[in-house]
Amino acid sequence: MADSRVEKLAKVLVQYSLHIKKGDWVRIDGAAVAEDLIRAAYVEILKAGGNPMTRVSLTGFSYEFYKHASKEQLTFVPPTANLETDRLDASLSIWGGWNSKELSGVDPKKLAVSQASRKAMFDRYLKRIGTGSLKWCGTLFPNNSSAQDAEMSLSEYEDFVYRAGKLEEKNPVAAWQKVSRAQAGYVRFLNTLKTIRIAGPDTDLSFNVAGRKWINCDGHENFPDGEIFTGPVENSAEGSIRYSFPAIYGGREVENVRLTFKKGKVVEARADKGEDYLQAMLDLDSGARYVGELAFGTNYSIQRFTKNTLFDEKIGGTMHIAVGASLPESGGRNKSSLHWDMVCDTRKGFTVYGNGRPIMKNGKHSRFQIAD
Amino acid sequence: MTDPRVVRMAETITNYSLSLKPGERVLVLASVPALPLVREFYAAALNTGALPFVRTLHPELDELLYRRGSDEQLRFVPASDKLDVETCSARLAVRGDENLATLAGIDPARLAVGRKARKPLLDTFMERKGRGELKACLTQYPTNASAQEAGMSLADYADFVFGACFCDQPDPIAEWKKLSAEQQHYVDFLNNVKTLRVEGPGTDLTVSVGGRKWVNSDGKANFPSGEVFTGPAEDSAEGRITFDVPTLFSSHAVEGIELDFHAGRVAKATAARGNDMLQSALDTDERSRYLGEFAFGLNYGVRRATRNILFDEKIGGTIHLAIGAGYPETGSTNRSGIHWDMIKDMKEGRVHADGKPVYENGRFIV
Repeated sequence: MADSRVEKLAKVLVQYSLHIKKGDWVRIDGAAVAEDLIRAAYVEILKAGGNPMTRVSLTGFSYEFYKHASKEQLTFVPPTANLETDRLDASLSIWGGWNSKELSGVDPKKLAVSQASRKAMFDRYLKRIGTGSLKWCGTLFPNNSSAQDAEMSLSEYEDFVYRAGKLEEKNPVAAWQKVSRAQAGYVRFLNTLKTIRIAGPDTDLSFNVAGRKWINCDGHENFPDGEIFTGPVENSAEGSIRYSFPAIYGGREVENVRLTFKKGKVVEARADKGEDYLQAMLDLDSGARYVGELAFGTNYSIQRFTKNTLFDEKIGGTMHIAVGASLPESGGRNKSSLHWDMVCDTRKGFTVYGNGRPIMKNGKHSRFQIAD
Repeated sequence: MTDPRVVRMAETITNYSLSLKPGERVLVLASVPALPLVREFYAAALNTGALPFVRTLHPELDELLYRRGSDEQLRFVPASDKLDVETCSARLAVRGDENLATLAGIDPARLAVGRKARKPLLDTFMERKGRGELKACLTQYPTNASAQEAGMSLADYADFVFGACFCDQPDPIAEWKKLSAEQQHYVDFLNNVKTLRVEGPGTDLTVSVGGRKWVNSDGKANFPSGEVFTGPAEDSAEGRITFDVPTLFSSHAVEGIELDFHAGRVAKATAARGNDMLQSALDTDERSRYLGEFAFGLNYGVRRATRNILFDEKIGGTIHLAIGAGYPETGSTNRSGIHWDMIKDMKEGRVHADGKPVYENGRFIV
C-alpha cells in the first residue's frame, strides 16, 4: 500500500506551498526514484485545475552527459527550457536520487561551463520567483541515497522527512499556517533590531542588521521549512565563529571550520579537514568572503544533522551564516557565485544577543516559540 | 544484455574461486540489487553440474525484526539455516545493498542478541571451512550505495570493481593464476624470514614473524583479493607506525592513526579523526592492543580507497596491520573480540627482512 504521507505531502505542496490555481501551468522536476511523489503531485495539480507537466530524470544520465558531451553540447540550452522558464506559472523541484556522489568524478570545469551557459536562464528564473510571477518550491522525496548520507535506514529517514514536514499531523496545512503566523510575529521584533551578536564556544561574532529585512520562511519555497533570515550589513561582521557541524558544499565536507571576520570580510579561515577546499571557495570571487545571509533555524521537529542543507539549516535552535551571495529580498547587497550555508549548532553553550540583550540561549528563544 | 564483465565475474567465482564440482551444493546469499550477478553465477554453477540454491537477503526486513522483535524473535534461527551451513559444500556471499546504513540506528545490544543466537552457525561454518569441507567466497556487486560510499558514480565504481576482479580482461582466471604464482613466490620467501622492519614517514616498526605461516590470499575466499598475510609474534612489535588510508570501524570513519608499540602492545595511540573510536576499540578486551595480522596488499588493479575493507586492504602498494584477533592458520594465538585492519600507503616506505631490503616504494624487490 502506498504511504499515505506521500499524498498528504503532495496536497500541502500543491494547495499551500505553490497554491496552484485553475489554469496554472506547472512543471514537476524530479528523478524517477521520486515517482510516487511525482504522481501524487500530478494528481493534486489536476484536481486543483492546473496543467501539470513532468521532467523526470533517469539514473546515470547526468553522469553520462558530463562524460561524453563536447563543449557545444555542454553549452546547449534547449529552447524549450527557455520557454518554460519564461512562461511557467509554477515549478516544483523534487530532490533525491540514486547516488549523491554521481557527479563527484566529473571535471569541475565541465560543470562550470554548463552552469555558465545556463546562467542567463537561471537569472530570469530567480527574477520571476523574486517578483512572484513564478511560484517555486523545492522539496525532497525520501530515498535510500539521502538516507545513507543521513546514516539512517529508508524507513527511519521517511519518518524523519515527514515529521519535519508536519505530515503526521491531521491537518498539515493548518500546522504550517500556525508556523507562519508565529514567525511573522517574531519577524516584526527582529526587524526592530540593530545588532546581532553570537557568543559561544570559540565564538564571538557581531553583525549590524539595521535597515535589513528579516524574511519568514514558512513552507512556500522550501518544504519542509522553518527559518527566518536576513542579509546583514556587508561590512559589519566582526569576530570569529567555530562550526561544530561539518560545512557541506557541492557534495564535499569541511570539518571544524573556524572563521575570523574583520569589517565584514573573512580574514582567516581554518578547518581540520578540507581546508584547501574552504580556501578555494572563499577565493572564488570578491564577494565570497562576505556574509550574504544570517538566519535562525526554527523547525524543532528537525533535531539531527543529516548532511542535507534543506533540513540542516532548519534545525530548530541553530543558526546559519552563509558566505557569498545575499538574497535580495532581505536588503542584502552582496554579490557572489557562492552561497555556502554553514550551520552552527547554537543549541549547546551559545547565547545570541539582539541590541545587547539575550534573545536566544542554548537554542531557546526568549520571545518566540513554535508549539510543536 | 548483461554486462560481459558480470558474466566473467560469475564464471571466475564458479571455476576459480569456488572451483565447483558436479554434485556440490552451493548456497548463495545475496541482496536483491545483486541479482544480475546471482543470475549469471546460477547459470555458471549449473553448467558445472553443481547444485546452486539462492537465499536472498533483505536488510530492510532485518531492520524491522531488530526494531519490533521480542528477544525471543531475535533469537529465532530457522532450522533450514542450520541445515544449509551443515550440508552445503560451498557458499557464495554477495554484498550489494541499496543503503549501507539500514541497521545504523539499531541498538548494538539488540544486534548482539541476534549475533549470539547465530553464533553456533558461524562456528559450524568456520569449523567446516577449517576442515576443508566448505569452500567460501565473499564478493561485492557494484551498487549505487557502495559507489556513493566510495564517492563515485555507479559507472566509475563498476569499472573499479570489475577492474579489481580482473574481470575487465578477457581471461580473468589466467590473471588470477598469475597473481597467485607471484604471491606464492613472496610467501615462500617470507616463510623463512624472522623479523620485518617497516620504515617510512613517521614510521619505524619491527615485528617478529619467525615460525609463523604466511597465507596466499589469491581470489578464493575473497573476490577480489590480492594480499599475503601472517600473524606476527604477539609480544614482538616495537616502534611506531602511522596509517594514512582512512578506515572504518563499526561504520565510523577513523583517519590519521598513529600507534606506538612496546613489547607487542599498543602503548600510545592517536587518530586525527575518530580518536574516541580508536581509544574505545583498543580497550575492548585484554588482547585488543596486540597485533593479529601483518599483510601486504598486492592487487595493483585496486588503486584507490573506497571505504570498503574488501578492496582497501588489497590496494597494491599498501601494507595493513590488524589489532585484535589473528587467524589461527597463520599460527597467531591472539584472540580478541575485534579485528581492525589499518592500512598504510607504502609509496614512500621500505621493508627490511632480517636486515636486508626486500620491499621499496610499494613493490617487493625479491
